[in-house]
Amino acid sequence: MTNDSQKATQVKLARGVRYRWDGVREQHQLLYPEGLLVLNETGAAIAQLCDGRSTDEIKRKLANSFSDGQIENDIGEFLARLAQRGLVRHDDDP
Amino acid sequence: MTTIPRPMALLAELTYRCPLQCPFCSNPLELARYRDELHTSVWQRVLGEASELGVAQVHFSGGEPLVRRDLVELVRTARERDLYSNLSTGATMATPEKLSQLRSAGLDALQISLPDSDSAANDWLTGASSFKQKRAAVAAARELDFPITLNVVLHRHNLDRLTEIIRLATDWQVDRLELAHTQYTGWAFRNRARLLPTRGQVERAEEVVAVAELKLAGRLQILHVLPDYFQEYPKACLNGWGSTFLTVAPDGVVLPCQTAREIPQLSFPTVHDQSLEQIWFNAPVFQQFRGCDWMPEPCRSCERREQDFGGCRCQAFLMTGDPAATDPVCQLSPDHHLIAQSKAEAAQSQEELAYRVMPTAQ
Repeated sequence: MTNDSQKATQVKLARGVRYRWDGVREQHQLLYPEGLLVLNETGAAIAQLCDGRSTDEIKRKLANSFSDGQIENDIGEFLARLAQRGLVRHDDDP
Repeated sequence: MTTIPRPMALLAELTYRCPLQCPFCSNPLELARYRDELHTSVWQRVLGEASELGVAQVHFSGGEPLVRRDLVELVRTARERDLYSNLSTGATMATPEKLSQLRSAGLDALQISLPDSDSAANDWLTGASSFKQKRAAVAAARELDFPITLNVVLHRHNLDRLTEIIRLATDWQVDRLELAHTQYTGWAFRNRARLLPTRGQVERAEEVVAVAELKLAGRLQILHVLPDYFQEYPKACLNGWGSTFLTVAPDGVVLPCQTAREIPQLSFPTVHDQSLEQIWFNAPVFQQFRGCDWMPEPCRSCERREQDFGGCRCQAFLMTGDPAATDPVCQLSPDHHLIAQSKAEAAQSQEELAYRVMPTAQ
Protein backbone atom coordinates (compact mmCIF):
# COMPACT_ATOMS: atom_id res chain seq x y z
CA MET A 1 0.00 0.00 0.00
CA THR A 2 1.45 3.38 -0.96
CA ASN A 3 1.58 6.41 1.24
CA ASP A 4 -0.98 8.24 -0.84
CA SER A 5 -3.64 5.59 -0.67
CA GLN A 6 -3.05 5.28 3.07
CA LYS A 7 -3.87 8.95 3.48
CA ALA A 8 -7.16 8.49 1.70
CA THR A 9 -8.35 5.68 3.95
CA GLN A 10 -10.85 6.36 6.64
CA VAL A 11 -9.94 5.90 10.27
CA LYS A 12 -12.62 4.55 12.55
CA LEU A 13 -12.73 3.13 16.04
CA ALA A 14 -13.13 -0.64 15.69
CA ARG A 15 -16.46 -2.29 16.42
CA GLY A 16 -17.20 -2.17 20.12
CA VAL A 17 -14.60 0.49 20.91
CA ARG A 18 -15.96 3.57 22.64
CA TYR A 19 -14.45 6.76 24.02
CA ARG A 20 -15.56 7.73 27.52
CA TRP A 21 -14.75 10.47 30.00
CA ASP A 22 -14.45 8.96 33.48
CA GLY A 23 -15.83 11.59 35.81
CA VAL A 24 -14.87 9.71 38.97
CA ARG A 25 -11.18 9.40 38.05
CA GLU A 26 -11.18 12.49 35.81
CA GLN A 27 -9.55 10.65 32.95
CA HIS A 28 -10.11 9.88 29.27
CA GLN A 29 -10.71 6.22 28.46
CA LEU A 30 -11.05 4.08 25.39
CA LEU A 31 -13.24 1.12 26.25
CA TYR A 32 -13.35 -2.18 24.39
CA PRO A 33 -14.82 -5.61 25.16
CA GLU A 34 -11.96 -6.90 27.30
CA GLY A 35 -10.85 -3.76 29.06
CA LEU A 36 -9.85 -0.16 28.64
CA LEU A 37 -6.99 2.12 27.74
CA VAL A 38 -6.39 5.35 29.65
CA LEU A 39 -5.68 8.22 27.25
CA ASN A 40 -3.87 11.53 27.70
CA GLU A 41 -5.27 14.78 26.30
CA THR A 42 -3.71 14.33 22.87
CA GLY A 43 -4.78 10.69 22.64
CA ALA A 44 -8.31 11.62 23.65
CA ALA A 45 -8.48 14.36 21.02
CA ILE A 46 -7.33 11.93 18.33
CA ALA A 47 -9.60 9.09 19.42
CA GLN A 48 -12.64 11.34 19.34
CA LEU A 49 -11.89 12.21 15.71
CA CYS A 50 -11.67 8.59 14.57
CA ASP A 51 -15.14 8.74 13.06
CA GLY A 52 -14.46 8.01 9.41
CA ARG A 53 -12.16 10.93 8.59
CA SER A 54 -8.79 10.39 6.96
CA THR A 55 -5.56 10.60 8.93
CA ASP A 56 -4.78 13.85 7.08
CA GLU A 57 -8.05 15.40 8.14
CA ILE A 58 -7.33 14.47 11.75
CA LYS A 59 -3.87 16.03 11.46
CA ARG A 60 -5.24 19.25 9.98
CA LYS A 61 -7.94 19.47 12.60
CA LEU A 62 -5.52 19.05 15.49
CA ALA A 63 -2.67 21.16 14.11
CA ASN A 64 -4.56 24.23 15.28
CA SER A 65 -5.36 22.88 18.74
CA PHE A 66 -1.84 21.74 19.57
CA SER A 67 0.95 24.24 18.92
CA ASP A 68 3.52 21.49 19.39
CA GLY A 69 5.11 20.74 16.00
CA GLN A 70 5.35 17.07 16.96
CA ILE A 71 1.63 16.49 16.68
CA GLU A 72 1.73 15.10 13.12
CA ASN A 73 4.16 12.38 14.08
CA ASP A 74 2.31 11.71 17.30
CA ILE A 75 -0.94 11.14 15.45
CA GLY A 76 0.63 8.64 13.06
CA GLU A 77 2.33 6.71 15.85
CA PHE A 78 -0.71 6.73 18.10
CA LEU A 79 -3.02 5.46 15.36
CA ALA A 80 -0.53 2.75 14.42
CA ARG A 81 -0.41 1.57 18.03
CA LEU A 82 -4.21 1.55 18.28
CA ALA A 83 -4.45 -0.37 15.00
CA GLN A 84 -1.98 -2.95 16.26
CA ARG A 85 -4.19 -3.53 19.29
CA GLY A 86 -7.24 -3.82 17.05
CA LEU A 87 -8.81 -0.65 18.45
CA VAL A 88 -9.02 1.34 15.21
CA ARG A 89 -9.53 0.16 11.67
CA HIS A 90 -8.50 1.72 8.42
CA ASP A 91 -11.23 1.35 5.85
CA ASP A 92 -10.52 1.70 2.15
CA ASP A 93 -14.19 1.78 1.29
CA PRO A 94 -15.77 5.21 1.20
CA MET B 1 -1.68 0.84 53.75
CA THR B 2 -1.58 2.39 50.31
CA THR B 3 -4.67 3.95 48.78
CA ILE B 4 -7.32 1.45 47.73
CA PRO B 5 -7.91 1.73 43.97
CA ARG B 6 -11.48 1.97 42.73
CA PRO B 7 -12.91 -0.99 40.80
CA MET B 8 -12.95 -0.87 36.99
CA ALA B 9 -15.41 -3.68 36.28
CA LEU B 10 -18.55 -5.20 37.74
CA LEU B 11 -19.55 -8.77 37.01
CA ALA B 12 -23.33 -8.74 37.30
CA GLU B 13 -24.39 -12.37 37.65
CA LEU B 14 -28.07 -11.90 36.98
CA THR B 15 -29.09 -15.52 37.48
CA TYR B 16 -27.59 -18.99 37.75
CA ARG B 17 -30.47 -20.44 35.76
CA CYS B 18 -29.33 -21.76 32.40
CA PRO B 19 -30.81 -23.99 29.70
CA LEU B 20 -27.36 -25.57 29.18
CA GLN B 21 -25.52 -27.98 31.46
CA CYS B 22 -21.84 -27.52 30.63
CA PRO B 23 -19.68 -29.62 32.98
CA PHE B 24 -16.89 -26.99 32.88
CA CYS B 25 -19.13 -24.24 34.28
CA SER B 26 -17.57 -22.15 37.03
CA ASN B 27 -20.92 -21.57 38.74
CA PRO B 28 -21.26 -22.91 42.28
CA LEU B 29 -22.44 -26.49 42.83
CA GLU B 30 -25.25 -25.49 45.15
CA LEU B 31 -27.31 -23.79 42.46
CA ALA B 32 -30.59 -24.14 44.32
CA ARG B 33 -29.34 -21.74 47.00
CA TYR B 34 -29.52 -18.83 44.56
CA ARG B 35 -33.10 -18.91 43.43
CA ASP B 36 -33.96 -15.73 45.28
CA GLU B 37 -32.88 -13.31 42.57
CA LEU B 38 -32.65 -9.54 42.85
CA HIS B 39 -35.52 -7.46 41.50
CA THR B 40 -35.06 -5.16 38.53
CA SER B 41 -35.16 -2.03 40.65
CA VAL B 42 -32.43 -3.33 42.95
CA TRP B 43 -30.18 -4.16 40.00
CA GLN B 44 -30.82 -0.65 38.66
CA ARG B 45 -29.74 0.84 41.97
CA VAL B 46 -26.66 -1.39 42.00
CA LEU B 47 -25.68 -0.26 38.49
CA GLY B 48 -25.97 3.36 39.62
CA GLU B 49 -23.84 2.69 42.70
CA ALA B 50 -21.25 0.91 40.55
CA SER B 51 -20.99 3.87 38.21
CA GLU B 52 -20.55 6.29 41.13
CA LEU B 53 -17.90 4.03 42.60
CA GLY B 54 -15.84 4.28 39.41
CA VAL B 55 -16.84 1.11 37.56
CA ALA B 56 -16.41 1.65 33.81
CA GLN B 57 -17.59 -1.72 32.51
CA VAL B 58 -20.36 -4.05 33.46
CA HIS B 59 -20.38 -7.69 32.36
CA PHE B 60 -23.86 -9.15 32.42
CA SER B 61 -23.35 -12.81 33.06
CA GLY B 62 -24.86 -15.86 34.72
CA GLY B 63 -26.05 -18.62 34.23
CA GLU B 64 -27.82 -17.40 31.16
CA PRO B 65 -28.65 -13.69 31.54
CA LEU B 66 -31.24 -13.95 28.75
CA VAL B 67 -33.58 -15.91 31.02
CA ARG B 68 -34.10 -12.63 32.88
CA ARG B 69 -37.02 -10.80 31.30
CA ASP B 70 -35.60 -7.45 32.39
CA LEU B 71 -32.24 -7.78 30.63
CA VAL B 72 -33.01 -5.12 28.00
CA GLU B 73 -34.10 -2.74 30.74
CA LEU B 74 -30.91 -3.37 32.72
CA VAL B 75 -28.75 -2.80 29.64
CA ARG B 76 -30.56 0.51 29.11
CA THR B 77 -29.86 1.51 32.72
CA ALA B 78 -26.19 0.64 32.29
CA ARG B 79 -26.03 2.89 29.23
CA GLU B 80 -27.78 5.71 31.07
CA ARG B 81 -25.22 5.35 33.83
CA ASP B 82 -22.45 5.62 31.24
CA LEU B 83 -21.25 2.06 31.75
CA TYR B 84 -19.76 0.04 28.91
CA SER B 85 -21.82 -3.15 28.79
CA ASN B 86 -20.89 -6.67 27.82
CA LEU B 87 -23.21 -9.66 27.66
CA SER B 88 -21.87 -13.18 28.22
CA THR B 89 -24.37 -15.60 26.84
CA GLY B 90 -24.80 -19.17 25.68
CA ALA B 91 -26.91 -17.56 22.95
CA THR B 92 -29.50 -20.32 22.60
CA MET B 93 -32.13 -17.75 23.61
CA ALA B 94 -30.60 -14.91 21.59
CA THR B 95 -33.28 -14.45 18.93
CA PRO B 96 -32.79 -11.73 16.29
CA GLU B 97 -35.57 -9.73 17.95
CA LYS B 98 -33.94 -9.92 21.37
CA LEU B 99 -30.52 -9.01 20.00
CA SER B 100 -32.00 -6.06 18.16
CA GLN B 101 -33.65 -4.82 21.36
CA LEU B 102 -30.36 -5.18 23.22
CA ARG B 103 -28.56 -3.23 20.48
CA SER B 104 -31.08 -0.41 20.69
CA ALA B 105 -30.80 -0.37 24.47
CA GLY B 106 -27.08 0.31 24.12
CA LEU B 107 -25.38 -3.04 24.64
CA ASP B 108 -21.75 -2.57 23.58
CA ALA B 109 -20.42 -6.08 23.09
CA LEU B 110 -21.40 -9.74 22.99
CA GLN B 111 -19.48 -12.71 24.26
CA ILE B 112 -20.92 -15.98 23.01
CA SER B 113 -19.81 -19.28 24.45
CA LEU B 114 -19.18 -22.17 22.09
CA PRO B 115 -18.01 -25.40 23.70
CA ASP B 116 -16.86 -27.01 20.44
CA SER B 117 -16.64 -26.49 16.67
CA ASP B 118 -18.07 -29.95 16.08
CA SER B 119 -21.81 -29.77 16.35
CA ALA B 120 -22.27 -33.22 17.95
CA ALA B 121 -19.45 -32.64 20.45
CA ASN B 122 -20.87 -29.22 21.24
CA ASP B 123 -24.31 -30.62 21.95
CA TRP B 124 -22.82 -33.42 24.06
CA LEU B 125 -20.88 -30.86 26.14
CA THR B 126 -23.87 -28.57 26.68
CA GLY B 127 -26.17 -31.49 27.47
CA ALA B 128 -28.66 -30.11 24.96
CA SER B 129 -29.06 -29.34 21.29
CA SER B 130 -27.47 -25.89 21.06
CA PHE B 131 -25.00 -25.68 18.16
CA LYS B 132 -27.53 -24.59 15.54
CA GLN B 133 -28.97 -21.91 17.81
CA LYS B 134 -25.51 -20.58 18.60
CA ARG B 135 -24.61 -20.39 14.90
CA ALA B 136 -27.86 -18.57 14.15
CA ALA B 137 -27.28 -16.13 17.01
CA VAL B 138 -23.79 -15.28 15.78
CA ALA B 139 -25.17 -14.63 12.30
CA ALA B 140 -27.93 -12.41 13.69
CA ALA B 141 -25.47 -10.51 15.88
CA ARG B 142 -23.23 -10.01 12.83
CA GLU B 143 -26.17 -8.49 10.95
CA LEU B 144 -26.63 -6.02 13.79
CA ASP B 145 -22.93 -5.10 13.66
CA PHE B 146 -22.32 -6.25 17.25
CA PRO B 147 -18.70 -6.82 18.19
CA ILE B 148 -18.58 -10.55 18.91
CA THR B 149 -16.15 -12.54 20.99
CA LEU B 150 -16.50 -16.28 20.64
CA ASN B 151 -15.49 -17.91 23.89
CA VAL B 152 -14.28 -21.49 23.82
CA VAL B 153 -13.40 -23.12 27.12
CA LEU B 154 -10.59 -25.59 26.52
CA HIS B 155 -10.12 -29.05 28.04
CA ARG B 156 -9.14 -32.55 27.03
CA HIS B 157 -12.27 -33.15 24.93
CA ASN B 158 -11.86 -30.24 22.51
CA LEU B 159 -8.15 -29.29 22.54
CA ASP B 160 -7.32 -31.56 19.62
CA ARG B 161 -9.86 -29.70 17.48
CA LEU B 162 -8.25 -26.28 17.92
CA THR B 163 -7.48 -25.87 14.23
CA GLU B 164 -11.15 -26.49 13.39
CA ILE B 165 -12.26 -24.16 16.17
CA ILE B 166 -10.11 -21.34 14.80
CA ARG B 167 -11.35 -21.99 11.27
CA LEU B 168 -14.94 -21.82 12.48
CA ALA B 169 -14.25 -18.47 14.16
CA THR B 170 -13.01 -17.03 10.86
CA ASP B 171 -15.90 -18.61 8.92
CA TRP B 172 -18.37 -17.07 11.35
CA GLN B 173 -16.56 -13.72 11.04
CA VAL B 174 -16.34 -12.95 14.71
CA ASP B 175 -14.02 -10.18 15.92
CA ARG B 176 -12.30 -12.10 18.68
CA LEU B 177 -11.77 -15.66 19.70
CA GLU B 178 -11.09 -16.30 23.34
CA LEU B 179 -9.46 -19.66 23.91
CA ALA B 180 -9.55 -20.03 27.64
CA HIS B 181 -8.38 -23.14 29.39
CA THR B 182 -10.83 -24.33 32.02
CA GLN B 183 -10.48 -22.69 35.42
CA TYR B 184 -11.03 -25.44 37.93
CA THR B 185 -13.64 -24.02 40.29
CA GLY B 186 -17.33 -24.82 40.74
CA TRP B 187 -18.60 -27.55 38.41
CA ALA B 188 -15.28 -27.60 36.59
CA PHE B 189 -13.48 -28.54 39.81
CA ARG B 190 -15.92 -31.34 40.37
CA ASN B 191 -15.18 -32.60 36.85
CA ARG B 192 -11.47 -31.89 36.97
CA ALA B 193 -10.32 -35.48 36.55
CA ARG B 194 -12.47 -35.75 33.43
CA LEU B 195 -11.42 -32.40 31.92
CA LEU B 196 -7.70 -31.92 32.54
CA PRO B 197 -5.75 -32.25 29.30
CA THR B 198 -2.36 -33.87 28.85
CA ARG B 199 0.82 -31.80 28.56
CA GLY B 200 1.13 -32.99 24.95
CA GLN B 201 -2.29 -31.57 24.11
CA VAL B 202 -1.45 -28.26 25.79
CA GLU B 203 1.84 -27.93 23.90
CA ARG B 204 0.32 -28.77 20.53
CA ALA B 205 -2.40 -26.23 21.20
CA GLU B 206 0.16 -23.51 21.85
CA GLU B 207 1.78 -24.24 18.50
CA VAL B 208 -1.55 -24.15 16.68
CA VAL B 209 -2.42 -20.80 18.28
CA ALA B 210 1.00 -19.29 17.50
CA VAL B 211 0.68 -20.18 13.81
CA ALA B 212 -2.92 -18.92 13.64
CA GLU B 213 -2.04 -15.62 15.32
CA LEU B 214 0.52 -14.87 12.63
CA LYS B 215 -1.70 -15.97 9.78
CA LEU B 216 -4.82 -14.17 10.97
CA ALA B 217 -3.28 -10.94 12.29
CA GLY B 218 -5.61 -8.06 11.49
CA ARG B 219 -8.53 -10.40 10.75
CA LEU B 220 -9.17 -12.26 13.97
CA GLN B 221 -7.88 -11.40 17.40
CA ILE B 222 -7.03 -14.49 19.43
CA LEU B 223 -6.88 -14.31 23.20
CA HIS B 224 -5.25 -17.41 24.57
CA VAL B 225 -5.70 -17.91 28.30
CA LEU B 226 -3.06 -20.43 29.30
CA PRO B 227 -3.81 -23.36 31.58
CA ASP B 228 -2.39 -22.46 34.98
CA TYR B 229 -2.02 -26.14 35.92
CA PHE B 230 0.74 -26.33 33.30
CA GLN B 231 2.56 -23.10 34.22
CA GLU B 232 5.40 -22.51 36.65
CA TYR B 233 3.70 -19.61 38.38
CA PRO B 234 0.05 -18.87 39.14
CA LYS B 235 -2.16 -16.47 37.24
CA ALA B 236 -2.55 -12.92 38.56
CA CYS B 237 -6.04 -13.77 39.71
CA LEU B 238 -8.39 -10.73 39.56
CA ASN B 239 -5.33 -8.53 39.09
CA GLY B 240 -5.20 -8.77 42.88
CA TRP B 241 -8.08 -9.29 45.32
CA GLY B 242 -10.25 -6.20 45.73
CA SER B 243 -8.19 -4.14 43.28
CA THR B 244 -10.06 -4.09 39.98
CA PHE B 245 -13.14 -6.32 39.95
CA LEU B 246 -16.23 -6.99 41.99
CA THR B 247 -19.09 -9.42 41.50
CA VAL B 248 -22.72 -9.21 42.51
CA ALA B 249 -24.30 -12.67 42.66
CA PRO B 250 -27.93 -13.36 41.63
CA ASP B 251 -29.14 -13.01 45.23
CA GLY B 252 -27.31 -9.72 45.85
CA VAL B 253 -24.27 -11.05 47.67
CA VAL B 254 -21.17 -8.99 46.84
CA LEU B 255 -18.01 -10.93 46.11
CA PRO B 256 -14.41 -10.02 45.32
CA CYS B 257 -14.46 -12.95 42.87
CA GLN B 258 -17.33 -14.90 41.35
CA THR B 259 -16.23 -18.18 42.89
CA ALA B 260 -15.15 -16.85 46.31
CA ARG B 261 -18.41 -17.99 47.82
CA GLU B 262 -17.14 -21.53 47.85
CA ILE B 263 -14.74 -20.52 50.64
CA PRO B 264 -16.68 -21.20 53.87
CA GLN B 265 -14.23 -19.25 56.04
CA LEU B 266 -15.40 -15.99 54.43
CA SER B 267 -18.60 -14.05 55.02
CA PHE B 268 -20.01 -11.72 52.43
CA PRO B 269 -22.08 -8.53 52.56
CA THR B 270 -25.13 -7.99 50.36
CA VAL B 271 -26.45 -5.06 48.36
CA HIS B 272 -29.43 -4.99 50.72
CA ASP B 273 -27.27 -4.00 53.70
CA GLN B 274 -24.77 -1.52 52.33
CA SER B 275 -23.84 0.47 49.24
CA LEU B 276 -21.23 -0.90 46.87
CA GLU B 277 -18.95 1.95 47.89
CA GLN B 278 -19.14 1.00 51.60
CA ILE B 279 -18.60 -2.64 50.74
CA TRP B 280 -15.65 -2.03 48.42
CA PHE B 281 -13.73 0.13 50.87
CA ASN B 282 -14.79 -1.30 54.24
CA ALA B 283 -16.12 -4.85 54.09
CA PRO B 284 -13.66 -7.18 55.88
CA VAL B 285 -13.87 -9.75 53.09
CA PHE B 286 -12.60 -7.21 50.55
CA GLN B 287 -9.74 -6.26 52.89
CA GLN B 288 -8.84 -9.84 53.70
CA PHE B 289 -6.56 -10.60 50.74
CA ARG B 290 -5.98 -7.06 49.51
CA GLY B 291 -2.38 -6.06 48.93
CA CYS B 292 0.43 -8.28 50.24
CA ASP B 293 0.17 -8.09 54.04
CA TRP B 294 -1.93 -11.27 54.33
CA MET B 295 0.57 -13.41 52.44
CA PRO B 296 2.29 -16.43 53.92
CA GLU B 297 5.74 -17.54 52.81
CA PRO B 298 6.91 -18.23 50.16
CA CYS B 299 4.77 -15.37 48.72
CA ARG B 300 5.57 -12.77 51.38
CA SER B 301 9.23 -12.43 50.44
CA CYS B 302 8.81 -13.40 46.76
CA GLU B 303 9.81 -10.87 44.15
CA ARG B 304 6.76 -11.88 42.08
CA ARG B 305 4.28 -11.07 44.87
CA GLU B 306 2.99 -7.97 43.07
CA GLN B 307 2.92 -9.73 39.70
CA ASP B 308 0.69 -12.66 40.57
CA PHE B 309 -0.58 -11.68 44.06
CA GLY B 310 -0.16 -15.23 45.35
CA GLY B 311 -2.48 -16.61 42.65
CA CYS B 312 -6.08 -17.68 43.10
CA ARG B 313 -7.62 -17.77 46.60
CA CYS B 314 -10.41 -20.10 45.53
CA GLN B 315 -7.96 -22.55 44.01
CA ALA B 316 -5.82 -22.42 47.16
CA PHE B 317 -8.88 -23.23 49.24
CA LEU B 318 -10.22 -25.96 46.96
CA MET B 319 -6.91 -27.79 46.92
CA THR B 320 -5.50 -27.19 50.40
CA GLY B 321 -8.48 -26.17 52.53
CA ASP B 322 -6.72 -22.89 53.38
CA PRO B 323 -7.75 -19.82 51.35
CA ALA B 324 -4.62 -17.94 52.49
CA ALA B 325 -2.22 -20.57 51.19
CA THR B 326 0.03 -19.96 48.20
CA ASP B 327 -1.74 -21.11 45.04
CA PRO B 328 -0.57 -24.74 44.59
CA VAL B 329 -0.02 -24.03 40.88
CA CYS B 330 3.13 -22.15 41.90
CA GLN B 331 6.24 -24.33 41.72
CA LEU B 332 7.38 -22.67 44.98
CA SER B 333 4.23 -23.71 46.85
CA PRO B 334 4.66 -26.39 49.54
CA ASP B 335 1.47 -27.93 48.10
CA HIS B 336 2.67 -27.99 44.50
CA HIS B 337 2.67 -31.81 44.43
CA LEU B 338 -1.15 -31.63 44.44
CA ILE B 339 -1.04 -30.41 40.85
CA ALA B 340 0.97 -33.39 39.63
CA GLN B 341 -1.32 -35.65 41.66
CA SER B 342 -4.44 -34.22 40.02
CA LYS B 343 -2.93 -34.75 36.56
CA ALA B 344 -2.05 -38.36 37.42
CA GLU B 345 -5.62 -38.93 38.62
CA ALA B 346 -6.97 -37.37 35.43
CA ALA B 347 -4.85 -39.68 33.28
CA GLN B 348 -6.43 -42.68 35.06
CA SER B 349 -9.98 -41.40 35.24
CA GLN B 350 -12.68 -43.44 33.50
CA GLU B 351 -15.59 -41.54 35.02
CA GLU B 352 -18.33 -39.82 33.08
CA LEU B 353 -18.68 -36.04 33.05
CA ALA B 354 -21.12 -34.70 35.63
CA TYR B 355 -23.50 -32.26 33.99
CA ARG B 356 -24.35 -29.01 35.71
CA VAL B 357 -27.88 -29.47 36.98
CA MET B 358 -30.33 -27.13 38.60
CA PRO B 359 -32.42 -29.09 41.08
CA THR B 360 -36.13 -28.67 40.52
CA ALA B 361 -38.21 -26.71 43.02
CA GLN B 362 -38.71 -28.43 46.34
